[in-house]
Amino acid sequence: MIETICTYSGRDDLLIAYLYDDIEPGDRAAFSAHLHGCGRCTRELAALRGVRSTLSSWAPPEPARALASQTPPAFEPVIRIEPPAARRTWHDVPGWAQVAAAVLVLGVSAGIANVEVRHDAAGWTLRTGWAQTDARSAASPAPATTPTTAAVSPAPWKADLAALEQDLRGELRSAPARAVPAAAPISDAELQRRVRAIIEESERRQERELALRVAEVVKDVNAQRQADLVKIDRSLGFIQSSTYGEQMKQRELVNYLLKVSQKQ
Amino acid sequence: MLGSNRAEKVSAPQMTWSDEELVARSIGGDQESFNQLVLRWERPIYALAYRVIGREEDARDVCQETFLRAFRALNGFRGQAKFSSWLYRIALNLCRDWVRKERRTPVIQAPEELEVLEMAAVREPTPSVEDLVARRELTRVVERAMARLPEEQRTAIILKEYHELTFQEIADLVGCPLSTVKTRLYQGLSVLRRELAKSES
Repeated sequence: MIETICTYSGRDDLLIAYLYDDIEPGDRAAFSAHLHGCGRCTRELAALRGVRSTLSSWAPPEPARALASQTPPAFEPVIRIEPPAARRTWHDVPGWAQVAAAVLVLGVSAGIANVEVRHDAAGWTLRTGWAQTDARSAASPAPATTPTTAAVSPAPWKADLAALEQDLRGELRSAPARAVPAAAPISDAELQRRVRAIIEESERRQERELALRVAEVVKDVNAQRQADLVKIDRSLGFIQSSTYGEQMKQRELVNYLLKVSQKQ
Repeated sequence: MLGSNRAEKVSAPQMTWSDEELVARSIGGDQESFNQLVLRWERPIYALAYRVIGREEDARDVCQETFLRAFRALNGFRGQAKFSSWLYRIALNLCRDWVRKERRTPVIQAPEELEVLEMAAVREPTPSVEDLVARRELTRVVERAMARLPEEQRTAIILKEYHELTFQEIADLVGCPLSTVKTRLYQGLSVLRRELAKSES
């Protein structure tokens, strides 16, 4: 077929501008009028629209992570810039742990302060350095033996412990208002986390790629198998028909020989 | 306008800040704002890289590198161009670097006792394996045809077709006259037309 030549000025650029509707209104009107009388431009425009339609079906594959997970296939961000994990500070430790630490410190302090635990006929006896001092200052000849409950209750460190606990709790309550330390751009831990995530995604992607490729191979093999089966079927039919023909010929030959032999 | 009505753009989160506002907040130390920018532009950048490069893994690398470079250079971003244009330019430069390198063929090693069909069926229940294969074949046809185009024609088609940039925006981005963009598009689409017709026949 002989294609006519279009000599419309700036035809290729206008065709593209018209195709994408990225064109001045005046140019659009003029080119639209031209299209009514130009078969070549009309056909080419239709063909390029077909190309665009085909191109629109080409979507990049969804990220493997979204496909691999059971979550909706929304695009999840690959990169997330996060501040590096701040160093744990005293304010980040839970309250109960702080209290436990305080008790431990007080216990050690009590040991340093000459706490004495003794069991004798009168039962358990607990003495602290301060209690011994008090006992010495009283200059009592009798041993300062007191039951455990009696010895613990007046101990001065218990009040200190309660005061410390209150201080710590107050400090914990005010902790969230404290400023977060300034973050460095990217920490090593963050980089390691990203690299690990990339490797995992890559593995999942490869698995999926493999699955699709093998599915393609399976499809090809099935198609080939079907074609082979059809060929085999045809061959068998041919063999059967030719065998039947041979049998008929042999039977006719045998009959002929019998007839000839009977005549003789 | 760049950034409006994007086919590839993420629609899920409600974005109240403009790109430029998020950039300003990021420069001020608000890293969550930069994460918002990543969330907003990661998919278009990935799609751009994938279509230019044609390999998912490398496209993801380019996408990551684009945002890392943007993050590192954010303090130097003075707003003389739109953030999206700046990002596209970084991504296109990285793609160009990739194209210049020697391309590698993918190596896929099959794990033993892999339940292939089960895996393909379970992980994406909606489309069947046949659908996936058909879609993949069509994708390959388009990719093969696109691969035959010179880089500048391919880039022009990708930016226009999939990112809906205006001719002027493409011209600004790749640094060529407006008429050159149209010529590249016309020539590229004409080649694609022939290549796709060959594939059909």
